[in-house]
Amino acid sequence: MTEMLWNLFYILVFPGLLFCVIAGLLLAGIDRKVVARMQRRIGPPIAQPLYDFLKLLGKETIIPRTASRTMFLGAPLIGFVSLIVTALFIPIFGFTAFGGVADLVVIIYLLTIPAVSIIMGGAASGSPYAGVGLSREMVAIMSYELPLVLVILAISRKAGGVFGIGGLTFSMTQIAEYQAQFGPMITKWSMIPAAVAMLLVIPCEVGNHPFDIAEAETEICEGTLVEYSGPPLAVYKLSHAIKMFIMSALFSALFLGGAGTGMLAVDALIFLLECVAVTIISMSLPHAVTARLKVEQVFKFFWTFVAGLAALSVVLVWFGL
Amino acid sequence: MIKKLIENSTAKSPWLYHINTGSCNGCDIELVAVLTPRYDAERFGFKLTGTPRHADIVVVSGPVTLQSKDKLIRVLAQVPEPKVVVSLGSCPRSCNVFKGSYSVAGPLDKYTHVDVSVAGCTPKPEAIVAGLAKAAEILKKKREGMS
Repeated sequence: MTEMLWNLFYILVFPGLLFCVIAGLLLAGIDRKVVARMQRRIGPPIAQPLYDFLKLLGKETIIPRTASRTMFLGAPLIGFVSLIVTALFIPIFGFTAFGGVADLVVIIYLLTIPAVSIIMGGAASGSPYAGVGLSREMVAIMSYELPLVLVILAISRKAGGVFGIGGLTFSMTQIAEYQAQFGPMITKWSMIPAAVAMLLVIPCEVGNHPFDIAEAETEICEGTLVEYSGPPLAVYKLSHAIKMFIMSALFSALFLGGAGTGMLAVDALIFLLECVAVTIISMSLPHAVTARLKVEQVFKFFWTFVAGLAALSVVLVWFGL
Repeated sequence: MIKKLIENSTAKSPWLYHINTGSCNGCDIELVAVLTPRYDAERFGFKLTGTPRHADIVVVSGPVTLQSKDKLIRVLAQVPEPKVVVSLGSCPRSCNVFKGSYSVAGPLDKYTHVDVSVAGCTPKPEAIVAGLAKAAEILKKKREGMS
């Protein structure tokens, strides 16, 4: 009985729903503020994403005549829920809500679902702009999946060389344990190319500048979100904020782990600070200094340069460096 | 309490949609000046959206021409409630120097209600910011009147 209550607490409060929503909105607010300061503007208040979310809740929901109603309203929720589930598998130093043998593989699959939910929602809305947007979203998925998997392969080999039975481990708990014993992954010089590749994967996965080809508001009117208004749009915007948190948290867990302090509250605070740092480096900085790339440029960039960096890391690790 | 929160946030996060109904581009440039780093309207939460479905405030510039009339009416119908219409510059109010032209079907208030009207040819960016701030207040009042 108590175990069930603890699980409910994990899902609804601490690494789950409430924590994710607060951390995501906070990171999104900090991102907007930092970008504004980099462009010498004053910028919106930190709570601006929260205001946007609440305002959208109070707007009218219009369902286009050409849309399929169930899919149009259900797709945002699917993406949102899968993101919350992902948060349960990411360890905060020593602490994991639900550990498993191969939870890293589960995370890869769960991270694809929000993008698929955007594709579903766009396809259901029946707008030509959404059609263009969803084809671009598919290109984005194909672009970042290969480097992401290569990065994870390098890490799993590095940690698995010590713990795993077959030389590979896909358990987040074991990766966290490895970092607690031997120091953060990023201090191993064979992992530095993988870390750079992961930092470049994050903005594409989240859909931020310069890789926001699917939501290009100046070209294709926000792409897949073109017909959304009111509460469903609010859920999409919230998912976007949470995705920023999940991806920076994944980077912190994979590369910036460590022994921690032993106290969960302090650990969570340090973890959040790491997430803020990762957000500023990998999302705010490119947003402030770059323009949007073309579709084929994104694909080419990820399959040559970023995948090359990740593959370099894999090779180095395989030679035992 | 949630109702109060939503009402307060509505005034703090108004998203703009800009539609040009045959303007000479002068007002459009001044609006862009308001949104870019120099005047930085984002500090009040203003954001330019790409689609009328996301918009709260519709900014119309230009005398309504015959060609753009139908599109204007369609775009205004696509904006979800509550919405505020702002007319930018003298043209949408009075057709300005284009009055009497065979191709002008304006002014704007023949086709929709106008909540805020920023005068000038072209209006100063400060005046546009003041007008948009007023539009945000009207937006909040409309939201209060909805429920």
